[in-house]
Amino acid sequence: MAGLELKSLRKSYGEVEVINGVDLSVTHGEFVVFVGPSGCGKSTLLRMIAGLEDISGGELWIADKLCNAVEPRDRGIAMVFQNYALYPHMTVYDNVGFGLKLAGTPKDVRDAKIRDAARILQMEHLLERKPSQLSGGQRQRVAIGRAIVRKPEVFLFDEPLSNLDAALRVDMRMELAKLHHDLGATMIYVTHDQIEAMTLADKIVVLNGGVVQQVGAPIELYQRPANLFVAGFIGSPRMNFATVTIQSLAAASLTVSSEDFEATVVPADIAGLKVGDTVTLGVRPHALATATSGALVGQVVLVERLGNETNVSLRLRSGASWLAVLDGDHQLRIGQDVPLRFEPELAAIFDGDGRARYLA
Amino acid sequence: MVAITDSGSDEGVTAAPRSMRRSPYPGWFFLPAAIIYGVLFLVPTFASLYFSLTRWTLFNSTFIGLDNFAQFLREPFLIKGLVNTVFYAAITSGLKVVLGLLLAVLLTSQIAARGYLRSVVFFPVLVSTVGVGITFTVLMHPTNGMINEGLALLGVKGPGWLTNPNLALFSVALVDVWKGVGLATVIYIAGIVAIPKDYYEAARIDGATRFQNFLYVTLPLCRPATVTVVTLSFIGGLRTFDLIWAMTRGGPGFASDTVASVIYKQYQAGFYGLSTAGNVVLFILIAVLVVPLTMLLNRKEGHE
Amino acid sequence: MSFIRRHWLSAVAILASGVVFLVPFAFIVLTAFKDQKQSALLDFSWPAGNYLWSNIVEVVTTRNWMLLTAFINSSILTVASVTLLVIFAAMVGFVLQRRKTRFSGLIEFLILAGLMIPPAVVPTIWLLQGVGLFGKLHGLVLIEVAYGLPFSILLYRAFISTIPRELDEAAIIDGARPFDVFFRIILPLLWPVTVTNIVVQSVAIFNDFTNPLYYLPGNANATVQLTLYNFQSQFQTSYNLLFTNIALITIPPLLVFLFFNRQIVAGMTAGAVKG
Repeated sequence: MAGLELKSLRKSYGEVEVINGVDLSVTHGEFVVFVGPSGCGKSTLLRMIAGLEDISGGELWIADKLCNAVEPRDRGIAMVFQNYALYPHMTVYDNVGFGLKLAGTPKDVRDAKIRDAARILQMEHLLERKPSQLSGGQRQRVAIGRAIVRKPEVFLFDEPLSNLDAALRVDMRMELAKLHHDLGATMIYVTHDQIEAMTLADKIVVLNGGVVQQVGAPIELYQRPANLFVAGFIGSPRMNFATVTIQSLAAASLTVSSEDFEATVVPADIAGLKVGDTVTLGVRPHALATATSGALVGQVVLVERLGNETNVSLRLRSGASWLAVLDGDHQLRIGQDVPLRFEPELAAIFDGDGRARYLA
Repeated sequence: MVAITDSGSDEGVTAAPRSMRRSPYPGWFFLPAAIIYGVLFLVPTFASLYFSLTRWTLFNSTFIGLDNFAQFLREPFLIKGLVNTVFYAAITSGLKVVLGLLLAVLLTSQIAARGYLRSVVFFPVLVSTVGVGITFTVLMHPTNGMINEGLALLGVKGPGWLTNPNLALFSVALVDVWKGVGLATVIYIAGIVAIPKDYYEAARIDGATRFQNFLYVTLPLCRPATVTVVTLSFIGGLRTFDLIWAMTRGGPGFASDTVASVIYKQYQAGFYGLSTAGNVVLFILIAVLVVPLTMLLNRKEGHE
Repeated sequence: MSFIRRHWLSAVAILASGVVFLVPFAFIVLTAFKDQKQSALLDFSWPAGNYLWSNIVEVVTTRNWMLLTAFINSSILTVASVTLLVIFAAMVGFVLQRRKTRFSGLIEFLILAGLMIPPAVVPTIWLLQGVGLFGKLHGLVLIEVAYGLPFSILLYRAFISTIPRELDEAAIIDGARPFDVFFRIILPLLWPVTVTNIVVQSVAIFNDFTNPLYYLPGNANATVQLTLYNFQSQFQTSYNLLFTNIALITIPPLLVFLFFNRQIVAGMTAGAVKG
């Protein structure tokens, strides 16, 4: 049973393409997160699913129903907005029940559903208040409650936690995960925060410039980013990159070097590559470790000692800046040269088009 | 009726079903207002362009070209009305700007009884213009009027405010300012209150005196208020009718006639074409004077 | 020093405002208490006796209770015009602010034109006669609505721009049709600016003299401002009655002023800050 299906969905404002042929299949009960930098089209895509933006091309299927021309109220969706969008002149009770009232639900049924949602979200004591009398977290709860009572096929969340302070955001994140588990409903969640994406998602969709960059489980995106964009976007701190030249090729690996690197063997799919090609080598800061002698040497620019780990900013010979996150505490002096090594299996090679060359 | 939201041009490359959702902001919401406004304001306005070129009895009209307008520029009492209108608008808006700004500065300072003063200055705005006109006609009575009796106490012989042809229009303008300065004042107060305190504090640290504060902070920063006051009172001044009608009926003679009172007089006399031409003249006057005025005021703002 | 100067300034301001702004009103009230003979002196003096009640009775009963009819007419005119204005202007302001189309510019131009252009009087009479509304109270209601729309629309549009669009969208997702979005979500939220609109337009329409003069001739359906005009000639020598009339028709604006001063100032100064 399909929860949601997008088939080469497009959106353009005149000449400007904001969503450029997105294909996506979401199974029932999945938690999908759209992530990407601001302006990448993730919110637009969500609003197209909601029916708040027209679809310029392609097909949108919700629960096996073609929804391109269907009114939002008939799509079986509910949405939680970034600014909560609670109706200021209504009590929490009326806010949550507004959709049911419009649908002509009998008063007693409505009451039961509202109280049920309030119980799930532990906000029974707030029902008679107006939104202005609530804290940010409470408002968020009401907004979610308003979505729950509709018993939608798909929940849509548009950056719902971005207006909360850091501590509350962590709490609400956990509650959302629990809610998803309890309700078992399909959820689509837009965020620019990759921690939210990594912790909540069954499946992450990375968008950039209106194009899907990669779809996959969080850990897959971290371990095997499909291209330079995803590699740079997912993971914090950001992956280190270096431009290197291919020295020699083997069956399932290649040897690269540059001004900063001694010849290093990295496993990779070599199809179409040849000696002398320029490729990009990517190494995550956590994959680097100190060594007596290593593949590269960096001069210490800045040291941040956190106790359990040490963040070291380095300048390589070519002038490139790299970051290493070393386990445990290290006493390093600024200006000191540090030799570093990494496991070749943890490094990634990106070809001239920016595509990753993993072994199958 | 428009039912599709504007999503720009749609090339429709993929053969997907075009979205036919209704816009949540339906065009028919304009309809009631558009009908009333269109029929009762726009249609007469456009019709006036034609009827101003006719000799008109409401039942039939004879096209006479620009004769009505020629008459407006030929007859001395009509020209007088034209000149009076501009004079009246200029003097009332000028006084309202100056007095309104001064009162607003006074009423935003640390003066006692601020609330009382603001109310007293503003209340005349809400009172019937005709009532004010009649009251001041009595107060300005040349011999028994309170104003001249008050002046007599000071040993001054007051003029015939409304009976002296050279003074009548000016006297009406003063009453207009008396009634309207409260509006200018509250507009200026809103403008001044909106100026962030930081500017005054910065100026004080720079060693500005109170007067310099006014000149270099208050005055430039409440320019939007000035634009509002000038345009509102200038347009109001050009269109003014009820106060003049209540106080002088355009007299003595034609000394205080304005275009608006001429329109009414010609209407009463049955010269409908001429009356309508007066409307068009007033319209042109407003367009010619107010549009450049607002552009000037807004452009200066851009310079800073 | 500055303490003394401040109080000196305050005293001057209070005194001057009293002479300039309060004396005329005091004159109106005092004259309304006088008998005909004393009022004819036109002086600022204490009434020799209390004739207020007999003055009121005479003013109200003159010309077959014309003033009473006029008060009823003015009330109907004001209430009906303002009701229509509020609903129609809010609807336009809402769609105009929310949805930009190629007509938006034209509509805004027409609104500004309505604020500036003086109505073409005789063509309007000609048109009203054509549709049978000339000299009819409901015709004048529609006239007042037409002339008041631009200002009310601008007030509403400015306020609606402060209501987040997400609220409309939340309602749409909740299943609201355009009608519901407007009447259940937007209109209730417009209450503060609606109060302002009601107050400002009520005062303007109640005090309107010119439009009833042109479009509602005849004593049978005079409005209060016209009674003043009519009595001005009739009471040429009876200043006590003329000023009693003025005092009576000043009471409604006074009440509005006492209860809604804040809203009225808010409405009239809207735009002063933004320009």
